[in-house]
Amino acid sequence: MKTHLQRIYSWIDERVELQGLVEYMGKKYVPVHRHSIWYYFGGVSLFLFIIQVVTGILLLLYYKSGEELAFESINFIMSKVQFGWLIRSIHSWTANLFIFSAMIHMFSVFFEKAYRKPREITWVTGMLMFFLALGFGFSGYLLPWNELAFFATKVGTDIAGVVPIIGKPLMIFLRSGEEVTGATLSRFFGFHVAVLPGLFTVFLSIHLLLVQRQGMSEPLHIGKESERKTMPFFPNFILRDITLWLLVLNLLAILAVFFPWELGKKAEAFASAPAGIKPEWYFLCLFQTLKYIPGKLWFLDGEILGVILFGIAGLLWTMVPFWDRKSSRGEQNRFVNYIGLFAVIYIIIFTIIGWLA
Amino acid sequence: MNQIPEIPENKSKRDFLQWVLAGGATAFLGAVLYPVFAYLIPPKQAEVEVSSVKAGKLSEMEKESGKIIKFGTKPVILIRTANDEVRAFSATCTHLDCTVQFRKDFGMIWCACHNGKYDLNGRNISGPPPRPLDEFRVVIQGDEILISKKT
Amino acid sequence: MKRRIFLFTATLIAVLASRESALANDTCFECHRNTEDKPSALFLHDIHHDKGITCAGCHGGNSKAEEMEQAMDKKAGFIGVPKGDDISKACAACHSSPEKMKSLGSSLPTNQWEFLQTSVHAKLSLNGKEHIAQCATCHNSHGIVSVKNPSSPVYPLNVIKTCTQCHANITLIKSYNPSLPVDQLEKYRTSVHGMRNAKGDPKTAECASCHGSHDIRSAKDVKSKVYASNLPGTCAACHSNAEYMKAYKIPTDQYEKYAKSVHGIALLQKHDAGAPACNSCHGNHGAAPPGVESVSKVCGTCHALNADLFSSSPHKKAFDQRQLPECETCHSNHDIIAATDKLLGVAPEAICSQCHNETQNVKGYQVAKKMRGLIDSLEAVEKRDQELVYEAEQKGMEISEAKFSLRDVRQARLQSRTAIHAFNEEKFAEVINNGLKTSASIAMESESAIHEYYFRRIGLAIATLIITLVALFLFLYVRRLEKKQTK
Repeated sequence: MKTHLQRIYSWIDERVELQGLVEYMGKKYVPVHRHSIWYYFGGVSLFLFIIQVVTGILLLLYYKSGEELAFESINFIMSKVQFGWLIRSIHSWTANLFIFSAMIHMFSVFFEKAYRKPREITWVTGMLMFFLALGFGFSGYLLPWNELAFFATKVGTDIAGVVPIIGKPLMIFLRSGEEVTGATLSRFFGFHVAVLPGLFTVFLSIHLLLVQRQGMSEPLHIGKESERKTMPFFPNFILRDITLWLLVLNLLAILAVFFPWELGKKAEAFASAPAGIKPEWYFLCLFQTLKYIPGKLWFLDGEILGVILFGIAGLLWTMVPFWDRKSSRGEQNRFVNYIGLFAVIYIIIFTIIGWLA
Repeated sequence: MNQIPEIPENKSKRDFLQWVLAGGATAFLGAVLYPVFAYLIPPKQAEVEVSSVKAGKLSEMEKESGKIIKFGTKPVILIRTANDEVRAFSATCTHLDCTVQFRKDFGMIWCACHNGKYDLNGRNISGPPPRPLDEFRVVIQGDEILISKKT
Repeated sequence: MKRRIFLFTATLIAVLASRESALANDTCFECHRNTEDKPSALFLHDIHHDKGITCAGCHGGNSKAEEMEQAMDKKAGFIGVPKGDDISKACAACHSSPEKMKSLGSSLPTNQWEFLQTSVHAKLSLNGKEHIAQCATCHNSHGIVSVKNPSSPVYPLNVIKTCTQCHANITLIKSYNPSLPVDQLEKYRTSVHGMRNAKGDPKTAECASCHGSHDIRSAKDVKSKVYASNLPGTCAACHSNAEYMKAYKIPTDQYEKYAKSVHGIALLQKHDAGAPACNSCHGNHGAAPPGVESVSKVCGTCHALNADLFSSSPHKKAFDQRQLPECETCHSNHDIIAATDKLLGVAPEAICSQCHNETQNVKGYQVAKKMRGLIDSLEAVEKRDQELVYEAEQKGMEISEAKFSLRDVRQARLQSRTAIHAFNEEKFAEVINNGLKTSASIAMESESAIHEYYFRRIGLAIATLIITLVALFLFLYVRRLEKKQTK
């Protein structure tokens, strides 16, 4: 048995020089310190992304895009296909957990200043993936073509429409016309299953390659080299990772069975909006902020101002490795910590307000 | 340090743990793959049970002609012969499931895919078809042609 | 007693005295009487003349003046022959005033004019100036007598003629309402009311008995006495009055029964104006609705399918031979209650058992028993399906298709209640079996949904157990590995 495996291994090794990779992996170490726990969230996000790919492909086997078919096909998946309910519920729940876990990953990296030189590219690709994930969420939300999704998309694309100059063409591009229609659905379907996954894969490859190449970043405040503890990436860290993944999978299964994702009512273009339409929770703080900005501020339209501010904030956040010079020099930068803290508190408070409203 | 040291005295315990892990991993794979494979099986669509269909009007059908009628989800070929008999057969060729057609020039039912031929009683007389076409019952009510399954 | 006699005599003397003096002074009447014109001849027998009302009472002017110019002076209020609405106004001057009527010793009501204003006769108008009917149209102008006087045009036996003067005149009626028929009299004469009326019975219903006298409204007016929901009460005014109906020797409990019937409840309690009132079966003016040979056939005009099925059933002949009415035999007439499945079968309360039992008409007995069994089983499975669907729904399973099919089962059950009227076991069983078939698939679907619910939880439990165990052992494995590494 073992000899067979060894033979196969050496067959491959002779051709692609696997040994080098294995040795490299074997030499890779993960630093152990009191902040090590945060290292796991990147892996959890990756695992959730893999689940999304697998369940997404499975859903694609039965999903039919189109105004007349989308809702019915999801209904079919949920009621007729064996375990269809499970696949769909897991896909929906994972989407949420993925964004949640990606957020934790992002903030932990931010606070540990892990983005500092030489990991600027890793950070930027990570941020780009985060924006893509929001795009995944936004486009995927419409695909069941139910009432809530329909109106959430209407509101969401409306907001995109207020961006100065490019807003209106952007909205028409997103909606594939002036209104949210079946054409929007086709377009979002295309984004969700082809455009976004393609882009995401590119960024993910770069991101993972860099992580493997550069190893885990260590926090600035860790002591001298000699006192540092490490653990082998393989098998220790990988096995710990897998253990956590299994627990996450458990959580997903429980959520899918006890809180199956609802389908709601089919969207009707001319029906009046149902009470209490809310965007997905990860858009709530944006949504709520726009609500609080007064209609007219100085000479700017309140909504435009909000969208511009969020745009600038997002850009600055993504560009943090380039303006936070102190961290790259290995110095403490409290200012960045305060900004991060403010962002976290802001998001939590506005999400809660949005949730309760 | 990068090489996992072998410790012979702990062998039985390690084997047990590995054995359990291997078993667990197999069970886990089963737990994941079973729903996935079950999901892949296309669910049976509730087929509307059709016992008879209206096949149009007799007066609108020429002598020596045939047409394909939808019988539930399956095609049926309806033929009005030269001596004014109306017959109906399953239009699915018994060879490779192509849809057959009526050929006035042959006076036969013909399958375009592999030149299979059936006579006007549905019997396979030439080409690859292995067995005759299933016959359907034809009832003419006034001018209306009704096709039903033969029981 | 003495006191009363005295009072009576005193009044009589006073009245006669005043009349004498008034008449003596009515110069208008005296002159007209001398010219022997028609109005004055008629007025001689007029009740108003009896009461001492002079010509000036209606026409104005000075009835005491000797000279004609003086008497008919417009300054004295002379109006000549009143025209149009002025006629009614002239009557109403006294008849709407309780004081004046009382002073003339009349106990007549004083609301006629008011009522007339609400009636269709005072609302419609041809030229926009005057309305259709004035007081004189029905009551005459000179020679008005009490309604109790058989010569009055509004005496029960004469009303018919009075009303039909206009209502049988097609050209006249057409100018007001082209869709209003003019054959009411013709039909009326075919009815029991009309025939008795023609024979001189003033107690039977004539036009005014149902339509009212002064406040006649369109039948579409909700306040009309013949508006669907008011009609049963209108009929009952006579037909439920045991005293009044005594001479005719017919029951007087129809209204009471009707009010409790499915039709009565629909009309009177649920205000369903489409539900049948008395006239729906018994006809309006005629004896039965148009095109219906007898009251017992009326049901089929609404319950068409049931009647059709019955006509082709074996019961048709059997009932005809025994002279049993078709629908009434099982459903009764005035107190028709909503038919339940209890009517069917061989239990003592079932109608079938009245003719079919173990010794008599045995075949029908057996069929009735079977049919009842079928409909009972359909009802039972429907109930079971409802419970199963409910349970599956409660468990959050997607079961909308089965829930929708439940309607088909109900429909089959309702259809079977119609199909029963064919009294044909095969046809009945076909309908029931359709329902049973649908029901079986609903039961299967909802049971599998319920099963699926438990399957999901058990499956989850197993999967969670496996995953947790694998995670646990993996953790132990890593721990041990790390222990060895540190050694």
